[in-house]
Amino acid sequence: MAGNFWQSSHHQQWILDKQDLFRDRQHDLAKLTEEEYQKVFNFFASIIQVLGEQLKLRQQVIATATVYFKRFYARNSLKCIDPLLLAPTCVFLASKVEEFGVISNSRLITTCQTVIKNKFSYAYGQQEFPYRTNHILECEFYLLENLDCCLIVYQPYRPLLLFVQDIHTQIQDDQILTYAWRIVNDSLRTDVSLLYPPYQIAISALHIACVMLGKENLKPWFAELNVDMDKIQEIVRTIINLYEMWKSYDEKKEIQGLLGKIPKPSPAPQR
Amino acid sequence: MEEPTGTLRYEKIDFLGEGQFATVYKARDVKSDKIVAVKKIKIGSRMEAEDGINRTALREIKLLQELQHINLIGLLDVFGQKSNVSLVFDFMDTDLEIIVKDSNIVLTPANVKAYMIMTLKGLEYLHQNWILHRDLKPNNLLINREGILKIGDFGLAKAFGSPTRINTHQVVTRWYRSPELLFGAKQYGTGVDMWAVGCILAELLLRVPFLPGETDLDQLSRIFQVFGTPTEETWPGMKSLSDYVQYKHFPAQQLRHIFSAASDDLLQLLDSLLSLYPPRRCDCTQALQMPYFSNKPPPSMGPKLPMPTNLFKMEIEKPSLKRKLLDNIEGGSVAKKLLQF
Repeated sequence: MAGNFWQSSHHQQWILDKQDLFRDRQHDLAKLTEEEYQKVFNFFASIIQVLGEQLKLRQQVIATATVYFKRFYARNSLKCIDPLLLAPTCVFLASKVEEFGVISNSRLITTCQTVIKNKFSYAYGQQEFPYRTNHILECEFYLLENLDCCLIVYQPYRPLLLFVQDIHTQIQDDQILTYAWRIVNDSLRTDVSLLYPPYQIAISALHIACVMLGKENLKPWFAELNVDMDKIQEIVRTIINLYEMWKSYDEKKEIQGLLGKIPKPSPAPQR
Repeated sequence: MEEPTGTLRYEKIDFLGEGQFATVYKARDVKSDKIVAVKKIKIGSRMEAEDGINRTALREIKLLQELQHINLIGLLDVFGQKSNVSLVFDFMDTDLEIIVKDSNIVLTPANVKAYMIMTLKGLEYLHQNWILHRDLKPNNLLINREGILKIGDFGLAKAFGSPTRINTHQVVTRWYRSPELLFGAKQYGTGVDMWAVGCILAELLLRVPFLPGETDLDQLSRIFQVFGTPTEETWPGMKSLSDYVQYKHFPAQQLRHIFSAASDDLLQLLDSLLSLYPPRRCDCTQALQMPYFSNKPPPSMGPKLPMPTNLFKMEIEKPSLKRKLLDNIEGGSVAKKLLQF
């Protein structure tokens, strides 16, 4: 819905406070360090991204699914629902909400099985994707409930396109959009989608793209923006931290250990 | 003590009606002691059950969660039990279809104006949020005993405005369907809702459906018999619509002959809502600024609007017996459809 962001549930209920978010994570942070916690979420964002690509979903749907995932665990411990179950459930719900058309449940399960086996064996080894349709359907309810039925998520892509259009009146450069778009994709792996409105994330992505490309001549454009530059700097720092983390991090080696450390649900009765 | 949630929170009082996708109950919210309407979505076939939470319900949830307006039905809560989802809405005593059909009710020009204002204001808000309702009809214009009209049933509502998006034209109950939809247009806008509002206004005056077509072709034929058969000059691009068929030439009639009791300012509004060529139709904001709404008589205030005569009588008449009767026929087709969301 291209309605009004300022009156949306996203703005009114789902721009969270940093301290609150950190406090609600205390349970999980007793088992994982802050950095390890971010690495786990980075990993599941990859799973959602790959699942989405395999199902040929648009990036908008993938982004919405990722935000659902983050919103759920912003209020719940990782032990409440196995993230390996919640990730495909988010994809399932997001594709319906974004009116993407039907992903049949059997196709979703098959895709999960192949993706886990072929692309993420470094994390799960020989273990197969353990969930079936009924698990996803049950999980969908918990997800909807924990999202407080707020399903419409505003993404930075649309404001980004608007800003780039505006920049184009000053300089022609297609590279800026390509870079900034990717940075927005990367930003999904951080907490910024929970903490800042999408237009600020879009401006931050543009800012990083300009620095990367050495676009000094856009300084006046940024200077003219009537926007809280402190917030932009916070977002930029968060995304740069992610890139710093990636430099020294080998997910293939570490993730199995991290997954072993995350709080687990108490074993459910067999049904 | 823990707060009651889900099914425990809502005490069923009465069966209200059954639609294609849902059953609606009147219930009491134990927590707030408010009367609400609980819409229980049917699970449907096994195939649909595989689909998870019903799409129609999901559409209503996602849109109504973002929309707050006095003239739109309010979504109060959503709860699930097993694989069944239920939506909790404001309870509405009646709807415009019941009022139009109730021969004991006299609809004054002031009443008609009040209904139109409330409908257009709710719809204006929807359109400002880039949402088309796509299923406006008297039955979806709900009214409570305070005389507030609220637009309900968002199961078909959808975001619009993307120029590349292809929409289905199989929306809107036929009698309220605009000519471009009947000709199979896949790209349409607020005009489809405005046409429906025009048909509803006409129905308020005539007290019977204005254009009760029996088939899609008959629907167009009835439209053209009133407004004249359009030509490529009066409706550019008409012939390129996918389901276009040539109709024989009908001359346009004078609206004042059909609505002989209507004032000139009302006819002006009606004429603008029911323009055959979609871009010529007024939008909600334009409609609300037309002289009709600032001229006399002023619209009736909420509590002065009529209510169906049997509404209050029903509650006095031994409710226990009635409930017993309704419980017996629950799920059957005998139950009178009072409210359908």
